[in-house]
Amino acid sequence: MANRKAAEDIQSSQAATAAVTQLMSEPAGVAKRSLVTKKALATGIPEAEIIERAKEGDGACFEALYSLHKRRVYSLCLRMTGNTAEAEDLTQEAFLQLYRKIATFRGESAFSTWLHRLSVNVVLMHLRKKGLPEVSLEETLEPTEEDGPKKDIGACDQVLAGSIDRVNLERAMESLPPGYRIIFVLHDIEGYEHNEIAEMMGCSIGNSKSQLHKARMKLRDLLRVIRPMRAAGKK
Amino acid sequence: MNCAEFQRDLPLIIDTGGTEEQEDHLRSCEVCRDLVNDLRYIAEQAKLLIPMLEPSPKVWKGIEEKLKDQGLVKPVQVRRTL
Repeated sequence: MANRKAAEDIQSSQAATAAVTQLMSEPAGVAKRSLVTKKALATGIPEAEIIERAKEGDGACFEALYSLHKRRVYSLCLRMTGNTAEAEDLTQEAFLQLYRKIATFRGESAFSTWLHRLSVNVVLMHLRKKGLPEVSLEETLEPTEEDGPKKDIGACDQVLAGSIDRVNLERAMESLPPGYRIIFVLHDIEGYEHNEIAEMMGCSIGNSKSQLHKARMKLRDLLRVIRPMRAAGKK
Repeated sequence: MNCAEFQRDLPLIIDTGGTEEQEDHLRSCEVCRDLVNDLRYIAEQAKLLIPMLEPSPKVWKGIEEKLKDQGLVKPVQVRRTL
């Protein structure tokens, strides 16, 4: 939990810097509201003040908050759904909910943490409405055939460590079944603990661990396929 | 302990460590050791994925319109100097 928060602070700071850089490089002739937002960010107004102004309905500050956090929210939505159009709709919904509820933000947690949790709930609600099996209902840890012991022959030349890049990992994640992908994103990328995931997903901690394990095993298989394909392509 | 027993318990122990017997098996079995190393490596790489993906501009446009429709944005007050 502490590591995730530290990582969030770093990411939030990086996101803020990236947002300022991006906004300052926008072409001339942008809408007046964006200019005001640029100034708000460029003068180094603390995020806490931007939030307070947003609570009062300041439109420029709504946009500033969007600029600061859009990548994180969108990436989360896209990784959890695997679909660009859905991710954009969910990003929009997450920010609209944020603006409706911002008056209730008391600062007890980091704003990014609060927004992140809200975004996760928006995505999960959407998936429940779609009727997707987010997680197999109380799947036990009884091994299935695909879970059989790995007795890889010649395993030495199939070891992954040091050989995958993040583009391949993102691509492999897209191929995961939705239930596996959600747990993997929440735990390994976003840093939620199993007890938190279990509460969000309405499953047991054991189920969360089982799904995560299956996700990683599936990714391992996918990445071992990508690796020989890339090697063949380079010949 | 054999590989089947070790790998059956792996979901519960991979992130937290196992019993002495499980750790002994890990030390002595190259296949299980490679498996665990791969899975941990995937988890480590996942932590390094940063949110560089950008939504299209129409997302903000949609938000802006709805903010106006729902009256969540207060009109900017023009300040006059006397």
